[in-house]
Amino acid sequence: MSHVLRLENITMQFGGVVAINDLSMHIDQGEIVALIGPNGAGKTTAFNCITGVYEPTNGAVYFNDQCIVRNQPTGRMKKLYAGDNRTPCEGPRIAMTPDKITKLGIARTFQNIRLFKSQSAFENVLIGMHLRRTSNPFSATFRLNLQEEKQMRQQAMELLEIVGLGAFAYEKATSLPYGQQRRLEIARALATQPRLLLLDEPAAGMNPQETDELGEFIVRIKDDFKLTVFLIEHHMNLVMDISDRIYVIDFGRQIAHGSPAQVQDDPEVIRAYLGEEEA
Amino acid sequence: MKKSTRMIIGFLLLALLFLAVWLIERAMGTNSMVITVLKKGAVYALIAVSMNLLNGFTGLFSLGQAGFMLVGAYTYAVFTIPMAKRMAVYQYYQGGIIQFEIPFFLAILLAGVVAALFAALIGMPVLRLKSDYLAIATLGFAEIIRAIIQYDKLGPITNGSNLLKTYPTFTTVLFPFVVSAVCIGIILLLIHSTYGRAFKAIRDDEIAAEAMGINLFRHKQLAFVVSSFFAGVGGALLAMYQGTVQANAFKSAMTYEILLIVVIGGMGSVSGSVMASFLFIACSEWWMRFLDSELMIGTFKVPLLRSGFRMVVFSILIMLVVLFYRRGIMGDRELSFDMFRRRKGVASK
Ligand SMILES: Nc1ncnc2c1ncn2[C@@H]1O[C@H](COP(=O)(O)OP(=O)(O)OP(=O)(O)O)[C@@H](O)[C@H]1O
Ligand SMILES: [Mg+2]
Repeated sequence: MSHVLRLENITMQFGGVVAINDLSMHIDQGEIVALIGPNGAGKTTAFNCITGVYEPTNGAVYFNDQCIVRNQPTGRMKKLYAGDNRTPCEGPRIAMTPDKITKLGIARTFQNIRLFKSQSAFENVLIGMHLRRTSNPFSATFRLNLQEEKQMRQQAMELLEIVGLGAFAYEKATSLPYGQQRRLEIARALATQPRLLLLDEPAAGMNPQETDELGEFIVRIKDDFKLTVFLIEHHMNLVMDISDRIYVIDFGRQIAHGSPAQVQDDPEVIRAYLGEEEA
Repeated sequence: MKKSTRMIIGFLLLALLFLAVWLIERAMGTNSMVITVLKKGAVYALIAVSMNLLNGFTGLFSLGQAGFMLVGAYTYAVFTIPMAKRMAVYQYYQGGIIQFEIPFFLAILLAGVVAALFAALIGMPVLRLKSDYLAIATLGFAEIIRAIIQYDKLGPITNGSNLLKTYPTFTTVLFPFVVSAVCIGIILLLIHSTYGRAFKAIRDDEIAAEAMGINLFRHKQLAFVVSSFFAGVGGALLAMYQGTVQANAFKSAMTYEILLIVVIGGMGSVSGSVMASFLFIACSEWWMRFLDSELMIGTFKVPLLRSGFRMVVFSILIMLVVLFYRRGIMGDRELSFDMFRRRKGVASK
């Protein structure tokens, strides 16, 4: 049984605070899977565990059956550990750095947009291509990689056009409107040639029309680039429209999982969301 | 304008500048004040640009520049003092233990390589930590290396705390100009390569850069080693400019001086650093010299003017720059034709 991404009993604790509690999930090739939950449920933290930004307290992450993250409580965490799953994850510790994980083929965008602010939209995408270079510092400095450089520039421009930013290539990234910055982040992520794309609230700050367009866009790039998409989103219409499956978490725990229709009618989910509204 | 025509014009302008400098030297003599300023300005330009590569382009706050210059200056001097003069220079150490000399251009290269090696060694533990530690560690390195070089037991190599002298120096102002221009050209090429873009990405946002697959440590290490290489070359040039070298002169004040040039020129602007270097050297060596000497107008003694006052004025200028002019002369832009055209357009209105 081979999944593109598999999380095994991930628990992430910040000191005594359990942000993710015994989370297991899997994503298959070509799927669009959504991760939803009320504010502070631990969604972004889950992304950070997958991409190596945080090291989970317990559990393992597999990407195409290769273990990229594995840890078990050690030292002072042994005492503090409060995950539901009491058995420590077996096997030696593995903690790949975010750059290695990106190189393997997982790219992401950020909830609080993190573009390279002094650079143009074009340069932002170019930086995303740096990791696939074949040049070394010497050949790059003395322009022995002209062919590759030309190719990089061409591809970067194509990506900008795909996300509809061709006309803004030389604008400073941070001078673009919010929605376009989010698209630019997607273009930059695509530049790393990912197999799996993690999108953290790509529709945040967009109006209904832009959100609809974004939905179509995500489906399109998924097909064109043969991607698998893992998506965090609060816009329920978007999520229900494009997701194959949905995981719902609350207080770090999975409370529901299934097709959009199944999840929509799940009493636990309704309670979590209504409960949030009452509070 | 096409990129290639721009390049050609750029090179022509540079050649013209060199010609002008050479003519000035012809007219005024090698030891005139203008030429002295131009020589030292060219040396400092290279050192400032090398520091800018680290502080301005990669966002690494390093304060080790004087240390790497010291390493470069000593490497150059130790290996180029003519055999015939070693007995006199190393008079307390029976002529020293290095009994050979290498051509001066090889020694300049070696100066860079040795400085780069030191950087690679220091970088390994430090660059994995948060950037703040880098400032402390590099400052510490600079102070320690200065002490080590003056250590008596190393005297047969370094001449202890005594002067190194009689090695080859500049015969013309064009020498530091050409070497600096070539080195700065190489740094510019690096900055505008895919690696340079990665440096700027790290400066702008480390987390995003890492998420783009950029290995933070390797790229910081690269910037650090390259910067130190050119600081070493700059140190060798400074040794040539001064004619004598003594470890004691490479204090942290020297690093601050260069940092000041970088800030005045603009963090992240190569042309800014170059302009600021000449400006700074002209001020400190020439235009503001009068502040250090007492002046009588008739029987009236102008107040404040006395030895050391120049540094006071300087410090105030620094504070003013940092307070009101933080982006420096150029900000993070470069001197370019487009900019010049716009300037002209504004001026003709
Ligand atoms: N670096 C950190 N240190 C301490 N606590 C953290 C850290 N990062 C996240 N948390 C905590 O973990 C919990 C989950 O946060 P997270 O950002 O993952 O939520 P989220 O589901 O993405 O919420 P939102 O919908 O608002 O983006 C929160 O209680 C948060 O305060
Ligand atoms: Mg979040």
